[in-house]
Amino acid sequence: MKNTIKNVFHSPKFVMGFIIFFGILVFTIVYPWFVVADPLDMVGQGNFFKPGTYISVRDTVETKHYVLNITAKAGNVGDRIEADDKADMRDWLVKYGGVSQETMDAADDNELVALWVENYDPKAKQKGLLASKKKAFVRLNTEIEKLMKDADLILAEQNEDGELESTGTITSKEYVNTKDIDNKRTLVLGTDNFGRDVLTELVAATKNSLRIGLLAGTVATLIGLLLGLLSGYIGGVFDNVIIFITNLFTVIPSFVLLILITYSVGQNARGLTLMSVVIGLTSWTWTCRSVRSQVISLRNRDHVNLSKLSGHSLMRIVLTDILPYVASYVVMAFILQISSGILSEAQLSMLGLGPSTTKTATLGQMMNWATMYSAHLNGSWWAYIPVVMVIALISFSLNLMNTGLDQVFNPQLRD
Amino acid sequence: MGKVMLEVKDLKTKYVTRLREDVFAVDGVSLKIEEGKSLGVAGESGCGKSTLALSLMGYYFPPLHYISGDIIIDGTNISGMKPDDVRKNILGNEIAYIPQAAMNALNPTQKIIRFIEDVIHAHDPKMSRKDIYDVARRRFEVLGLPAEVLQKHAVELSGGMKQRTVIAISTILSPKVLIADEPSSALDVTSQKMVIKMMRDLMEKGYIKSMIFITHELPLLYNVTDDIMVMYAGQIVELGTAKEMVFDPLHPYTKGLMGSIIVPEEGVRENKLTAIPGTPPNLKHPPKGCRFAERCKYATPTCAGMEIPNIETAQGRVYRCLMSERKIREVYENE
Amino acid sequence: MKGYKKYYGQKILWYLVTLVFAVVLNFALPRMMPGDPVSALAGQAAQGMTDAQAIKKVYDEYIEKFGINKPMIVQFGLWLKGAVRGDFGVSFSQYPRTVADIVASSVGWTLALQLPAILVGWLLGNLLGAVAAYMKGVFDKAILPVFLFISNIPAFGMSVIMLLIFGLQLGWAPTSGAYGFDLIPNMSWTFIRSVIAHYQLPFWSIVLVTIGGQAIGMRSMSIYELNADYVKYSRFLGIKDRKIVGYVFRNAMLPQVTGLAMSIGTMMAGALVSEIVFSYPGLGTVLMSSIKGNDYPLLSACTLIITIMVLLANLFVEIIYGIIDPRVKAAQQD
Repeated sequence: MKNTIKNVFHSPKFVMGFIIFFGILVFTIVYPWFVVADPLDMVGQGNFFKPGTYISVRDTVETKHYVLNITAKAGNVGDRIEADDKADMRDWLVKYGGVSQETMDAADDNELVALWVENYDPKAKQKGLLASKKKAFVRLNTEIEKLMKDADLILAEQNEDGELESTGTITSKEYVNTKDIDNKRTLVLGTDNFGRDVLTELVAATKNSLRIGLLAGTVATLIGLLLGLLSGYIGGVFDNVIIFITNLFTVIPSFVLLILITYSVGQNARGLTLMSVVIGLTSWTWTCRSVRSQVISLRNRDHVNLSKLSGHSLMRIVLTDILPYVASYVVMAFILQISSGILSEAQLSMLGLGPSTTKTATLGQMMNWATMYSAHLNGSWWAYIPVVMVIALISFSLNLMNTGLDQVFNPQLRD
Repeated sequence: MGKVMLEVKDLKTKYVTRLREDVFAVDGVSLKIEEGKSLGVAGESGCGKSTLALSLMGYYFPPLHYISGDIIIDGTNISGMKPDDVRKNILGNEIAYIPQAAMNALNPTQKIIRFIEDVIHAHDPKMSRKDIYDVARRRFEVLGLPAEVLQKHAVELSGGMKQRTVIAISTILSPKVLIADEPSSALDVTSQKMVIKMMRDLMEKGYIKSMIFITHELPLLYNVTDDIMVMYAGQIVELGTAKEMVFDPLHPYTKGLMGSIIVPEEGVRENKLTAIPGTPPNLKHPPKGCRFAERCKYATPTCAGMEIPNIETAQGRVYRCLMSERKIREVYENE
Repeated sequence: MKGYKKYYGQKILWYLVTLVFAVVLNFALPRMMPGDPVSALAGQAAQGMTDAQAIKKVYDEYIEKFGINKPMIVQFGLWLKGAVRGDFGVSFSQYPRTVADIVASSVGWTLALQLPAILVGWLLGNLLGAVAAYMKGVFDKAILPVFLFISNIPAFGMSVIMLLIFGLQLGWAPTSGAYGFDLIPNMSWTFIRSVIAHYQLPFWSIVLVTIGGQAIGMRSMSIYELNADYVKYSRFLGIKDRKIVGYVFRNAMLPQVTGLAMSIGTMMAGALVSEIVFSYPGLGTVLMSSIKGNDYPLLSACTLIITIMVLLANLFVEIIYGIIDPRVKAAQQD
């Protein structure tokens, strides 16, 4: 036993999978020690703030200002536009803006901006341009207009009479030191559609999804193991019934059964535990099959026969003479069940059949919310990609562990 | 003295394991077979006899590697030839191989005749399918195999039938040398007999000109082959005629092997089943001296200390032992 | 041929039995559950509709159709009679369209998307796996971890990634629907072009996910076959390596065919969820809208048709397998 475990940890694939999986697991446990906020706390008002550090605008105004000699003037707008965009602008002006190639060749960056402001018209006929490209030009134009504005901002307060009184001006050369600002918040992965911090939510969701996977895997493995052992060892009618059922459910898609069951129990009854149990109940057939075929090949081995002749009880024979031999298969099946459980939950949640709760999120629910609020269509990648990557990483690590185990337990398959 | 069909001079090959360790499985083997003769190779499992079979083909692919030595088939040295020339001109039509496990030697999803077509086309791409069919059918019939087998897949054949089909396919191009690696070991007695009969037929009808028969069952060799060679730890320990080897073994290892079997022939001394204690040496680091020394009950300190050469007796027998022929007989008499 | 008849007879019989069970489950599961959508919905049928007349109509039809007050077996008879005729009643959420109408209009999209995508993915995956096994070395070492990772990205995740990169970032293909929203389905070039453009992202997402899993399976099968005894034997008969590789890949493909039968349900599940990401008007999207709209008749029709599709696909693969693997024939003759 000790030796087997040692062997397992000599397999690079297993070790790598193990490190990734437990890395994720430990992260979900350790992260809440440092970030105590409620994962579903709505930090932002509005949906899908992009990742970055947010600082209080009020603090910015009230903090000491420094005048830095960093150019922000309209005259230098040319320097502040990306080279690609400039090339695009030149193209556009020659093709659709009626500017001649010679003028364009002679123009430097600042003259280009001047020409752009003079000639760009979003309504001009732009033959051969993709709609998305057209939109990109409109955005670029808005940006340039913004850069061109260089009026001082006037700060005003309402006095007792309700009239505005100017209290100061802010010029475009004034800066504040971020260290002077007390209120700031770094949202590493931005916010979701409800304005919740995606990172904190993701960590909590990962924990919940892992819980679902582990519970579903345990349920499936226990049922599959028990039925597989009995049907393989006892045989006869019991075995036939079990074979029939397992064959049936390897063909009838478990996805459909899951939809029917989770829909029928109603939204209020769908908790994390119930979901896990239902997933477990629909996925034990694979474990049962492989355990059964293993037991059948073991049933007539000498050591089992010896045990039988010695009058050992069924329980004892199964536990001491058969179980140790199927243990490796069971562990491998369990690992795969965890990842398929997580995936099943995610798919159900995408359909709107996820666990109903306002306190916890799962990875699938995060995907579902992001889809419902069209995060994928407005480019809010941070609401999606991290979730997808976490699911993929969990599944990847579990599969690696499984492959590693396979190589240790079935050395003849080694390549 | 007949024409020499196969001559092997000091052949050395090795396995390279996944951990890049060298295993010297065939270490300096020399032998000679004349036309119409057969040689049996015997030894415990792991003694290098199967590796010898693979090495004799002159076509090496990982994990087996060639080190040195010559393989001369009917006057042509194939050791220096390009692998693709060996494949095209030698394999199958000069020297042929019958594998240990015929059960899995045939592609399960291919019809036997399609495979024969591939074999013949590898050497003669122009031969038409009809001609090939005729050749195969005639050959199968002569060897007592039903022609329907040609239209079947390997999975549809019984174990014995599969083995005989493999033999028929291996010899379809009438090779000069046939190397059979335990062709009958996995079979029941009836099938074994049929296989042996088939091998004899092949020789008698001239479809093969010489044969090497590898097995761990010595009594089988006594009935089938003219000469017997015993291998131990990658080397020849003794080589002689079948009769000499069985009734008058010289090397203590051969004697031990003979002692560990029952030969159902008259005149063999009634020996109790004495398996030789101990295990063969590790071929990753073969011992310097006699490789059998550790298990030999006659061994002296000198045995393990110096390399033992092959000794050729006046009668043309070869053995590898420090004791002289007379000394050996003396020792055996006194037992 | 006699062997085949028995094989196919058994297969078809077995799938019929499975179908019966699947149909019974489809009917019984929701009714056995504590929530029981059928009773629940009958009580509050057509909630959310504003037209009083429509509510009454749906409600009456519902009571009649499901025979709520009759014993379970009679209910099953009624339901089965309807199902056989393709009559699943009226949809709640898309009144006054019938369920049959909605399902019929979406099945085609799903079939047209998933069938080619899964097939292409399977073929490409096997090809890549075989090449990886044969080439070994750098190609294998570089490509294997990549595909191992890709195969672990769920289908809907891959869809989102593709959509973000190729749809939004690069603007190569439209991101939602099956054709331009301003078009009416007809046989014009504009429409067909639009359909093809909209087809790309969902198609390649499914293909990519399928490739990953298949390539890995094929690679290990090929390596296993490359070490088989017949490879060594064929080599020693002087057969060219290229020809032997042909044997190996054919044999390695066979378990992959059975693998396809085994995993087609899982693949379809993934692909159905992918449809949602692209708002593709197939069964997956209908399934989701039926769940959101609390539209039980539509949901149960969708699950039934998905089950039937998976069963048919499985049966088809098994029949093909019987033809291409001579071992099946041999096994029947024993």
